[in-house]
Amino acid sequence: MVPTMVPTRAPELDVPYSFCSQPRSLAPRPKYREQSSAAETEKGPRRYGNIMIDPRVVRGNALSLRLLPEGAQPSTPEVKKPKKARKKLPATKLTQEQIRPGTPEPVEGREHVYVQTELYLEEISDRIIEVDGECQTDEFLDRPPTPLFIPAKTGKDVATQIEEGELFDFDIEVKPMLEVLVGKTVEQALLEVMEEEELSQLWSHQRAFAELRNAEFAELQRLEEQDRRIREEKERRRLEHLEKLQKQKETAEKVAARAFAQRYLADLIPSVFNNLHDSGFFYDPVERDIETEFLPWLMSEVEETLQKKVLGRMMLDSLIRMVVEKRLDEYSHPPPCDQTEAPAEDPRATDAAPQVSGEANAADQPVAEE
Amino acid sequence: MAQPRISAYLPPDIDPTKAPLAFGRRALPKLNEELQSPELLTQQRALMALCDLVHDPEKVYQAIALGFLDSLKTLLVHHDQTVRQKATEVLSIMALHSIGRQGLIKSGVISALTGLLDDPVDICRKNTHQIFDMMAKLPEGAGGVLQAGLIPPLVLKLKTELDEIQELILDTLSNCLRVEVSEALAAGAVTVLKEKLSHPSTAIRSKAAWVLLEISSHAEGKIAVCKEEVIPVLVSLLEDTQPEVQVNTTGALMFAAVTPQGRSSAMGAEAIPPLLKLVAEETSKARLNAIKTLTLLAELPEGRQTLLDHRDTFQRCLDDPSEAVQRAAEIAITVIEWKP
Repeated sequence: MVPTMVPTRAPELDVPYSFCSQPRSLAPRPKYREQSSAAETEKGPRRYGNIMIDPRVVRGNALSLRLLPEGAQPSTPEVKKPKKARKKLPATKLTQEQIRPGTPEPVEGREHVYVQTELYLEEISDRIIEVDGECQTDEFLDRPPTPLFIPAKTGKDVATQIEEGELFDFDIEVKPMLEVLVGKTVEQALLEVMEEEELSQLWSHQRAFAELRNAEFAELQRLEEQDRRIREEKERRRLEHLEKLQKQKETAEKVAARAFAQRYLADLIPSVFNNLHDSGFFYDPVERDIETEFLPWLMSEVEETLQKKVLGRMMLDSLIRMVVEKRLDEYSHPPPCDQTEAPAEDPRATDAAPQVSGEANAADQPVAEE
Repeated sequence: MAQPRISAYLPPDIDPTKAPLAFGRRALPKLNEELQSPELLTQQRALMALCDLVHDPEKVYQAIALGFLDSLKTLLVHHDQTVRQKATEVLSIMALHSIGRQGLIKSGVISALTGLLDDPVDICRKNTHQIFDMMAKLPEGAGGVLQAGLIPPLVLKLKTELDEIQELILDTLSNCLRVEVSEALAAGAVTVLKEKLSHPSTAIRSKAAWVLLEISSHAEGKIAVCKEEVIPVLVSLLEDTQPEVQVNTTGALMFAAVTPQGRSSAMGAEAIPPLLKLVAEETSKARLNAIKTLTLLAELPEGRQTLLDHRDTFQRCLDDPSEAVQRAAEIAITVIEWKP
């Protein structure tokens, strides 16, 4: 059984001791016993008795055997009871431990004396030989650990010994175990290696696929690019062709328009010329000259001449008038009837003169118009 | 006194860093409850145990059916770095199984992971990028990554991240850009990739060339590639000694040369001699791509003239064991001998 550990000491350094019961000072022994219980119950200020003269304190050698005097102890009720019990039943209840079996009563006349019967006499005295000795303990050490309690051996010792080779043959027995161990390890290792190989195979497969895919993709893109270029080229050519056609059409139209215009215009010129000619834009300058200058001059000359003629006639008319007026004047002294005839003649003459001039003017005008 | 512990030594297979597993079917539900507990140590131990369990596909199936992904999503933003690291590790192992991938797409874990791109811990970021990489291999996963708007941040991260994380980012980008390329072009991916083409590490160079290949398989990508003048760099990379770099470079050139500008730019950079060298090598993996590129270049008049002298090289390619190479060689010969 493993011994229990020593209870660890309290770590307080200023209290070196531990007690089962704390020390307390005793109250002074009361003089009168009847007061003892009263003094115990009193909780008033403790009066400390002198420990040096207290008869209760044991003096002298602490290790000597001594019996307490009966009277020294205050008889408490618990102590009183067994005393009383003992007093009541002296003979029957006495155990062997309480009363030693006494020797029989001495015969009459004799006296029993205590005598030492050992080989060597011993001096018995109350006063024990005392020798003062001093000893000083060391500083308080920790209580050493309880030594291992090994219970005393009980029972009968029996021994048995397995000799080598009796139980089993190690080499043979260990073989299957070793095989399993080694086999499992190797199998595990093989599995791991195979897995790694498989993994690397998968990776290389994937790589190869990726390469192929990339190559194919590049090819695809190349063909796409080519296709795109070809299509663009085609588109461009087509557009060019369209443009060309467009231009051709335009040119044809232009040519047609030109031809048409030429034809139209070819007819146009003679008619234009004719019209112009008709409207007099083309003229013979001499003729024009004659017409514009010569003929007006001629007409004006003619008009002048005619006007001169007219003037002459008017002059003549006026002359005639004057003559007639003069004659009238001359004849007015004679009968006045000639006066009325003369003015009537004058207006007729004057009418005739403007008429004649009017006729002459009228004749002038058609000639000028020509 | 008798005690339940027989010996002072713990039994050999108890790992104090892992949570003890309940028996049978109860293991995962119990771990789920432990994941949601407020105590940090419980959560960490549950995550460690979960990491080991998740290697089994059946457990993945059960975990997704139990709704582990939601609790893991909340743990992704935990303040403790171990929790975050383990959570991302669990998710990355789950992403290795197809059920896991589908579950991740359905529960929208990808958008939750965007916040982890700037995590200070390297392992968290690496796991996050591993998840993205695995997800991008699926078409729906690539679509999910694109929808979460991850391409611009990933392109930005390419400039600043560690090398191995850069490889993961390049893989992710190559799978995503196969689908759609406009976002990446807007984020200036071509410039970044042009720098990466001259990186000392072989893997990064070959992967950068692969991403350029994917970009230039789209029309707008081709235009961007021509504009940024990546073609001369690619032509110079043709001289590289590593076969993967050669393969990817020729592939990128193949796609870039489809447009007329690309073609003229490639001719200007004198791409024909190195390509012919690659075609002449019997065991080169880049043969197919090189033949295709030369086919494209042969559509230009100058190219055709030059290649008319090298027809015998293509004749030899007709004996190649791979069928694709044979076909490509035939097409090449047809194009070279075409007369307008």
